[in-house]
Amino acid sequence: MSSSVMGGFVGARVKRREDVRILTGTGRYIDDVQERGTLTCHFVRSTVAHARLVGMDVAAAREVEGVVAVITGEEMAALTNPLNLGAPIPNLLSPTYTALATGKVRYVGEPVALVVASDRYVAEDAAGLIEVEYETLPPVVTSEQALAEGAPLLFDDVPGNVIHTGEIEHGDIDAAFAEADHVLTDRIDQHRWGCAPMEGRGGVATFDRSTGMLTYEASTQTTHLLRLLLSGFINQPINLMRVVTSDIGGSFGLKFSIYREDVALCAAAKHLGASLKWVEDRNENLTAAGAARDESVTIEAAVKADGTLLGFRVGMVMNNGAYPIMPPAPVVTNIAGYMLPGPYRLPAYRFSSTVACTNKASYISLRGPWAVETLIRERMMDMIAREVGISPVEVRKRNLVPVTEQPVTSGAGFVMEGVTASETFDRLVEMIDLDEIRAEQERARAEGRLLGFGMGTFYEPAPGTPEFWGLIGFPFSHEPVRLRIEPDGKVTAFTTQVPHGQGHETTLAQVIADEMGVAYDDVRIVFGDTDATVFTMIGTGGSKAGMMATGGAMVAAREVRRRVLDIAAHMLEANPDDLQIQDSVISVKGAPASKVALAELAMGCYMAPGMMPQGVDLDLEATVKYDGENGGWGQGSHACWIEVDQETGRIGVTRYLVVEDCGRIINPSVVDGQVIGGVAMGLGGMLLEHSAYGDDGQYLAGTFMDYLMPSAPEVPEIEIVHLEYETTTMVGSRGVGEGGTVLAPAALLNALDDAFAQVGGKRITATPLTPTKVLGALGVIDG
Amino acid sequence: MSHREITVTVNGAVRTATVEPRRTLADFLRQDLGLTATHLGCEHGVCGACTVLLDGDTVRSCLALAVHADGHEVTTVEGIAEPGEMHPVQSALWESGAFQCGFCTPGFVMTIYGLEQDARAGRPCPRSRTEIREELSGNICRCSGYQAIVDGAEAALTAATATATTTTEGAR
Ligand code: FES
Ligand code: FES
Repeated sequence: MSSSVMGGFVGARVKRREDVRILTGTGRYIDDVQERGTLTCHFVRSTVAHARLVGMDVAAAREVEGVVAVITGEEMAALTNPLNLGAPIPNLLSPTYTALATGKVRYVGEPVALVVASDRYVAEDAAGLIEVEYETLPPVVTSEQALAEGAPLLFDDVPGNVIHTGEIEHGDIDAAFAEADHVLTDRIDQHRWGCAPMEGRGGVATFDRSTGMLTYEASTQTTHLLRLLLSGFINQPINLMRVVTSDIGGSFGLKFSIYREDVALCAAAKHLGASLKWVEDRNENLTAAGAARDESVTIEAAVKADGTLLGFRVGMVMNNGAYPIMPPAPVVTNIAGYMLPGPYRLPAYRFSSTVACTNKASYISLRGPWAVETLIRERMMDMIAREVGISPVEVRKRNLVPVTEQPVTSGAGFVMEGVTASETFDRLVEMIDLDEIRAEQERARAEGRLLGFGMGTFYEPAPGTPEFWGLIGFPFSHEPVRLRIEPDGKVTAFTTQVPHGQGHETTLAQVIADEMGVAYDDVRIVFGDTDATVFTMIGTGGSKAGMMATGGAMVAAREVRRRVLDIAAHMLEANPDDLQIQDSVISVKGAPASKVALAELAMGCYMAPGMMPQGVDLDLEATVKYDGENGGWGQGSHACWIEVDQETGRIGVTRYLVVEDCGRIINPSVVDGQVIGGVAMGLGGMLLEHSAYGDDGQYLAGTFMDYLMPSAPEVPEIEIVHLEYETTTMVGSRGVGEGGTVLAPAALLNALDDAFAQVGGKRITATPLTPTKVLGALGVIDG
Repeated sequence: MSHREITVTVNGAVRTATVEPRRTLADFLRQDLGLTATHLGCEHGVCGACTVLLDGDTVRSCLALAVHADGHEVTTVEGIAEPGEMHPVQSALWESGAFQCGFCTPGFVMTIYGLEQDARAGRPCPRSRTEIREELSGNICRCSGYQAIVDGAEAALTAATATATTTTEGAR
């Protein structure tokens, strides 16, 4: 649609304005920051999983021509405060650590020294000359090893390697199991997989000696949080600290945290009074940036003879890796715990979780970090169907709560309202013919081919409600937006969202253009500069933009529009209610000749306030916060068709169908892109990707030749249907970013179980779904 | 480390530089010439983000050395359209909303541009969506799930094939 057309931008397939720079290669990703005089940094990293650091010889490295500094862990510790990233979470034993390792190393890839040089080639040459002496300690790789009696301890102040335990209980769980006709048990050991954005982490830290100002241009999704934590860790007054981002080459949760590399880089820049750049290479990203999932979950379900749920008893163990980072793991286990009952009626529930630390890189958030709850629950629903002899459709229908029966208390004990999982599921069922699927599977089997079909449904806090986030112990927060009409009538809005592919420059401009009555092209969105945007703890993440930032933009636009109409009412001698803004002109409804241009009004407010109406607010800039009202929930239902190659173990996804409901759609291209990208990530994560470790704690997937990413031929065409059920909030939209990644693994796993069930194969209880495991389950090979 | 002087025609302009033999073509383009459109996603030849044309063929500039390009022609995303304009491949990808974070984008643009040049010249090029997906398998996109990229590539290749036919007919 042409962006000069007035009004009706929301809901239209407006082409993204970001794409102009993206397609022409004029973006500014972190390695594109090439200011003169910038020095390059390279981190020397631990080659062993667990060891005492007994010595380091950096003398030869310091001699290399072009090397400006080599900073060891002890030296860095003198420049920084100890890092602790979990402190505000109750009941979390969050060990403190240094920016570069001191005393001990706890994972392969942990930074032990920093080389600063004129050029990356030189920095890496010098790093090769550094000798580090390790006295190795027994590695603790799996959660089982970490939790075993007498296991080696990673931290002196973390007994039993347990950094957190949690409990959630709702309803009478013992009565539920006493009453059950069937009790079923399942366990899934989910593997570690990574965010692996195409651009890794990185930053450019510049210290200005004359002003004492430290500017950190970084690839981050949370500018204000990074600024707040950094300034504390490096003793920099926060008003002399600025964090800036430009284009970000993907994140998926990885760039939510602050990392020790950020701290080391900024501290070194301050120490040297220089501009320092660090850009992670792929090996560092895979090895040291951290990875996600890596949980074991056991579930017991108490069920009536007809498949009605009575209760779930769940235990979850998360492998946190060595150092807790942001968001701390208990936030993730808590969300998993509260979301696990899903959109079903569940009278009783008990959930307990344990977070263990191990000699792996840190657990990080990854697109719907709590997703294992959907994986285990949706598989259990299929298991129940088989046990009681009904279809996977019927078992869900019998337990889902239709939106008309809400508000209702969720299985975990909070209010569930406006959740349309039941409706998305019904719509999905309308579009599939289960009998035909079964018939086709039989025909295929007769030809020696094996087909599987799986489905699933879920809901997620996107953004959820204040009550829900209160239970999690994490702030729901408000979303601030600053908006002003410029003297020429154009609009500039400042968001604390930090887009990394979600298209906020487009969608927020669509919303503001409609609200203000101006052209989409006349609205500019400013983001990513802590000097310009308003503080919020969370930047982009958890699909926060779809509802919260959109709401912020609406409230800000409405506030400024109200002021404009008040001023115009005086100028036009009319009632503000009788005025409209169209095409940047304020006019009296029904009397279009009575009008004033927005530009004229704005110029008057800025340049000649004395000549403007008095007694009204002439300030055309407003900073507002949107409280999110009662938030809302994203939901969806998926169906997945696969073919299993019984000779090679390859799983081919032949068809994939999504019915999702994010309420009012602001831009269909953006929403579809999020859904499809999310599903691709979920499928890739289950089928190909594996952040694998050896028994000795060595990292085994340090390149894209070992860490396999899905490419175009591995991802099916994804069909999407939108429901657009509008909740009663002002915005009407809900988040859609995580759903694909959360639900696709469950639909896929159910399809695989379905295929195996036809030929008497075993169920797989440990992911990823590799060809070896498939052939093992089919009895083709041992395993 | 010794240095060598090289002369490379980059996007039509002759550039001379002195480089270490180990310097990659990608680093030469990005750092020595300031052409930052060419991105580095893996630096080991898997992701395709660094794809450029060397004498008309797509290559991975992270695996090539700058000295390999001595005496040759390199085309990058900066060179396929006039500043402020888009090549039809770029327009088609824009229309289809192909990308999200945009980090992989220049690599895809160059891969698809290479295919489009084949189509225009009447050389064989992928037709079906399945064939297009196969051709794009050397480029990784973490964000998009590929579908919209395939949409854009399909549109661009269809248009280019039509142009090729018209030209051939016109010549007859
Ligand atoms: S950077 Fe060259 S292929 Fe990945
Ligand atoms: S758009 Fe982000 S990697 Fe392709």
